Amino acid sequence: MAGSALRRLMAEYKQLTLNPPEGIIAGPINEENFFEWEALITGPEGTCFEGGIFPAKLLFPPDYPLSPPKMQFICEMFHPNIYSDGRVCISILHAPGDDPMGYESSAERWSPVQSVEKILLSVVSMLAEPNDESGANVDAAKMWREDREQFNKIAEKLVRKTLGLPSP
Amino acid sequence: MKALVATVISLALTTVVIGNAYYQKKQFYPSIVYLTNSNPSMAVMYLQAFILVLLIGKLLRKIFFGQLRPAEFEHLIERSWYAITETCLAFTVFRDDFNPKFIALFTLLLFLKAFHWLAEDRVDYMERSPVIGWLFHVRILSLLMLLSHADFYFIHHAYQFTISKGPSVQLVFGFEYSILIIMIVNILIKYVLHAIDSRWEAPWESKTAVLLYTELAINFLKVLLYIGFVAVMVRIYTLPLFAFRPMYETMRSFKKAYNDVVLSRRAIRNMNTLYPDATPAELAAADNECIICREEMHSGAKKLPCNHIFHAACLRLWFQRQQTCPTCRLNVLRAPAPEQPHAPPNVPHGNAPPGNVPHGNAPPGNVPPGNVPHGNAPVPPPAANIVPPPFPNMPPPPMMAWGMPPPPPRPASLANLSTAELQRMEGHERRNIEARLQLLREIQAMLDASVLLMQQYSTVVANLPQNSANVATQTEIFRTEPSPEPSPVKVKTEPDVVPTTSNYKQPAATPSTSTATVTEDFEDVSSSETTNLNVKREKTDADAEELRRRRLQKFTMEK
Repeated sequence: MAGSALRRLMAEYKQLTLNPPEGIIAGPINEENFFEWEALITGPEGTCFEGGIFPAKLLFPPDYPLSPPKMQFICEMFHPNIYSDGRVCISILHAPGDDPMGYESSAERWSPVQSVEKILLSVVSMLAEPNDESGANVDAAKMWREDREQFNKIAEKLVRKTLGLPSP
Repeated sequence: MKALVATVISLALTTVVIGNAYYQKKQFYPSIVYLTNSNPSMAVMYLQAFILVLLIGKLLRKIFFGQLRPAEFEHLIERSWYAITETCLAFTVFRDDFNPKFIALFTLLLFLKAFHWLAEDRVDYMERSPVIGWLFHVRILSLLMLLSHADFYFIHHAYQFTISKGPSVQLVFGFEYSILIIMIVNILIKYVLHAIDSRWEAPWESKTAVLLYTELAINFLKVLLYIGFVAVMVRIYTLPLFAFRPMYETMRSFKKAYNDVVLSRRAIRNMNTLYPDATPAELAAADNECIICREEMHSGAKKLPCNHIFHAACLRLWFQRQQTCPTCRLNVLRAPAPEQPHAPPNVPHGNAPPGNVPHGNAPPGNVPPGNVPHGNAPVPPPAANIVPPPFPNMPPPPMMAWGMPPPPPRPASLANLSTAELQRMEGHERRNIEARLQLLREIQAMLDASVLLMQQYSTVVANLPQNSANVATQTEIFRTEPSPEPSPVKVKTEPDVVPTTSNYKQPAATPSTSTATVTEDFEDVSSSETTNLNVKREKTDADAEELRRRRLQKFTMEK
């Protein structure tokens, strides 16, 4: 019997393949290593990220699901809750012990009940509604608050980039 | 590609240098002397040797590991830098006997260390890899064997050298290789555990515990070695700065292993004492999937105070990190223990099997007593079926006063006791239970006897009105009634017995049966009044007589 982390990841992979949630595709990059996944997230409709397809990488710890995975976009992103290197900063990806921003209550932290699907859905909703309280990317947070038009323009440029279209 | 270029360049340089020397001196020995005396040539030779070592390393890596995973490679590079820095620090301590041989030995040490690290990473990866072929096992086993032989050889060499020539740099080597051999032991244990685990279909729950304790023991050994080494070095040379970082890391991991063991033990204890096992009905009501591992729950599931159900093993791992319910984040340590409505108030005096005391809600019938996880040996519950639990409203058994010594007061929580204590208690309890069983048998016999007596009395009473008419039978009855010898004896013992019986049997079964027989008798007799009274009466008399004789015989025999 393989390790429990591996078995759970296999179960989640199966689940995601059988009933994929809308707008999300995820799976191991290489089926010999179930601890590195790639995910494709489509920008939620009705937001400035609509239409974009954003690739991201998920890295699972050996003791998953007791510890959360790490998620990082591998395309260029401009968003208040995404660091400039693509790392995603949302509370369910943080173990209850650490609190990089110092404001999260433990109720919204990682627990083994969470799953890849829930993480990706949270990321989709994060794309739709940025939380400008936590400034993973302070410039983006500031622009989101003060100059929404400019923000939308940058987002649209990123969307076109992910689709391989020339910017207008 | 870079490596290839470096190899080609160094090979070309070496050829040029050697060719140049031979071209100038024309003979073998003079050219060798020329080479060793010229510093630039020697530098080229050292570079060539270094490249050769790297090439051999690559070859061995190809043989034993195949392609390295990126994570393994990163890990290797990171550790190598630390090791190289520490080696340079070590050079400063032993600058007196600094020579090429010394450098070669350190290089070899680094080289072997790298393979130890890689082997460790590979074995750790076993648990996470979906497919493990026979090639993997062959590679790891042969590598471990090779490395352990090398380690042993160098330890032996260092020992001999130190014994014969006094302390030298060989001390460091002996110590480093001892650390490495401990590492090999650790890797081997992990490998065996993972290999066994991968053969089994079902998850092996105690594996984590075994790993935890192995980690603790190995780290303890390492800490001892480091402390010993530093002490020896301080006495003979100076403070071994180069050993401080690994020593600090080892101490930290020892502390972590110790904390893990403590936390794990606490989690296990909490689970055994505070949370009831989930019943099959509860499992069926929930969707039967453990939300932690996403697998079905068949047995060994625990219910938290918030009614969420998980595998005991999964829960234990989570509780080592956090004491909250994974689903609703209820703090399970602060939450009140689940109520125990069915638990009789005088359980502590106890006849209920100790194994069931912690989980009050669970009906003993449904819970296999065996699934108390390791640690506290489950006490076999022999009494469960024989002795009915005392009734909630009963006063404490008065029999304590006469029958036998009262059982020792049960401690509040069995899980706090060590295995030895439990076993001792078990022996004690067993004796008590045996004594009680013996007592109950006696009580049963006495009750049978008294029921018989009652029957007789009832027949006599029922026949009384008739007897007034029929003098002959009356006298006959009066004659037969007091005649049996044992009845006075019975009457004598009865007052002693009654209080005891009231605790155990009487309210449950015997009184009802006895009254039933009595009323039956009354009915019999009243019906017999209308029919042939005499025949019937004589018949019942004879029957009763026979029965009584047999019961009394049995009673005296058992006595």
